[in-house]
Amino acid sequence: MADDLFFVIHHNVTGRARLHPRLASLGLAGAVIGELLLAERVTLDLAPGRDRLYVITKNATGDPLTQNVLDHVVAEPHHPIVTWLHFFARTIYADVTARMITKQLLNPPARNLLKQQPATPVDANTAAWPLARLNLAIQRRKPPVIRDCVLYGLVVATGGAARALREHDAAFAAATTALLPVPLQRLIVQTEVVVGEAVISRR
Amino acid sequence: MSLTQQRPSAVSSALAKDRLGVPSVVFFVISAAAPLMVVAGSVPTAYEVTGVIGVPFAFLMLGAIFALFAVGYVTMARHVVNAGAFYAYAAQGLGRTQGVATAWVALLAYNALQLGLYGIIGSATEPLLLDWFGASPPWWVIALVAWAVTGLLGLLRVDINGKILSVLLVSEIAVVLVFDIGDLLHPAASGVSFEGFNPGSLFVPGVGAALATVVAGFAGIESSVVFAEESRDRNRTVPLATYLGIAIIAILYAISAWAQTVPTGPDGIVKAASEQQTELIFNQAAAHMGSGVSTIGSVLFVTSSMACMIAFHNTTARYIFALGRENVLPSMFGRTSARTAAPIAGSVLQTALGLIVIIVYAIFGLDPVTKLFFTFGTFGGLGLLTLLAITSISVIVFFARNPSGETVWRTRVAPGLATLALCVIIGMTLMNFDTALGVAPDSVIRWILPGIFVVAIILGGVWARVLKATRPEVYANIGLGAQAVSGGSK
Repeated sequence: MADDLFFVIHHNVTGRARLHPRLASLGLAGAVIGELLLAERVTLDLAPGRDRLYVITKNATGDPLTQNVLDHVVAEPHHPIVTWLHFFARTIYADVTARMITKQLLNPPARNLLKQQPATPVDANTAAWPLARLNLAIQRRKPPVIRDCVLYGLVVATGGAARALREHDAAFAAATTALLPVPLQRLIVQTEVVVGEAVISRR
Repeated sequence: MSLTQQRPSAVSSALAKDRLGVPSVVFFVISAAAPLMVVAGSVPTAYEVTGVIGVPFAFLMLGAIFALFAVGYVTMARHVVNAGAFYAYAAQGLGRTQGVATAWVALLAYNALQLGLYGIIGSATEPLLLDWFGASPPWWVIALVAWAVTGLLGLLRVDINGKILSVLLVSEIAVVLVFDIGDLLHPAASGVSFEGFNPGSLFVPGVGAALATVVAGFAGIESSVVFAEESRDRNRTVPLATYLGIAIIAILYAISAWAQTVPTGPDGIVKAASEQQTELIFNQAAAHMGSGVSTIGSVLFVTSSMACMIAFHNTTARYIFALGRENVLPSMFGRTSARTAAPIAGSVLQTALGLIVIIVYAIFGLDPVTKLFFTFGTFGGLGLLTLLAITSISVIVFFARNPSGETVWRTRVAPGLATLALCVIIGMTLMNFDTALGVAPDSVIRWILPGIFVVAIILGGVWARVLKATRPEVYANIGLGAQAVSGGSK
């Protein structure tokens, strides 16, 4: 799902970012945790106001990135999810890009004379597909599959909806998120909180 | 379990690397207060408009009151969500209705302080342009340039980089101190007089007006608690940085305000300030140390005013953003610019207001320094005083309702004394508001301006009640800021 989110918040041909890197990182961190939630490796321990990640099973995820995230949570289970979002956001952008290059979804970034060029998608159609799915669901006002509901929620939470999606309907977005299991809903909400705090923060 | 907890946490230490220590927080806090802008802009204007010689003593006295206020303020900051905003204290201490009323007062006050700065930038830049090019455009052209730069940087979310800020701030303080030494080495014929530090010279007619200006000079100090989440040690860094910031500001401003009176003598300062306005300290410096030093000072005066403008612009935009996220303002204001991560709607609103104010003042030919900078500054100062008083009361009520093991001094005595002192100052300011505005004592405008705050409080209260009746889920989250979407925590 982090790959899908990456494609939604970047241009499908040029690979240029549609989102501020800080917001994109927080969203991608939410997406990777979302992958673990969907794979039922972790769930959320819903203490009022202090949602914590709770490890259900330590089985290998078969993917170095999510495995690394899971290992961190296993080692220090006491942190609230907000702390994890901040922590993973520090490195996740590079990690997700690296994973997508390994999967041959992205071309390795070319180095121009003056500045580093963004990593471009290998196939523009593959890159356009996640965004197209969301646009289609919104156009038909028909909630997509669970994965895409999470994706939609995260795109809205990072503030990328107005810029990336063809049309942004806040009420439909809220209704779609409401269909999700509570842990995934809380993940989206907490991502929105850290994004809001990042906007208010003076640094 | 115990093994994992005894080991230093990889997560905490990785996040701690990005955290702020005491010096960084102090820098952030003082830079919003813009020392050179206050010393060169506010202080001579205060002498000119109020005719009160006791301005240096006022800085010391208000420094003490701010420190007293800070005791309860930083204590409660450890226990509340969204600690950066005054209305969060009112919402979580007094109640949500009072919180919304406070939010409206805060919006007005911060807006006034920011808009007022457009009045000073012209007179800060004009002498330099005259010096370099022999001509200068009218003040409002300069103000419009500053307005455009501020608006653009606000949209791009360019907070002036911490390092640039530190360099500017250190040079500003150095220049102020050099100017002070120059002044002290060239006393008036009557010798060095300490009249400015005599309480008797402050408590004369006009005292309230002087106090309101001086308060505006401290604006920005309250932002220290914003860094609670981002500081290394929440319980130590922020209080220490707050007290240090207050002490540095109070002492630096008091000495500088007094030093300005030394070359002229206490009797001559009001006349000199009236004639030379914001050029006073630079003329003094040029006379004592040559034009080179004076020019450096003038350049820093401009950068200081710009930095202050950008800081206040961003503060206000964030305030509006937080209120939008809570749905207290239309949720449109809670929107983020995806590209730059700026609180876009709040920033645009600020910029629009700035344009209106500059145009109105330019069309009616009103004096930008005394009528815009000083009037808006005094109005904002009065609002800030009100906010401080409300916050102090909130601290007392909050800890009465939520006993937390903090000492009685922190939860009752200090906030109680601060409330008392602040209310007295508000009273004095209201009595002298005609002097502050430079209008006749029977002019209605002296009551209209403070009345705006009363109206804001009433409308805010009414709006909160409307929210409670029509959108209870919004009402329940008032005061939580960005955390409102999650229903809050702690």
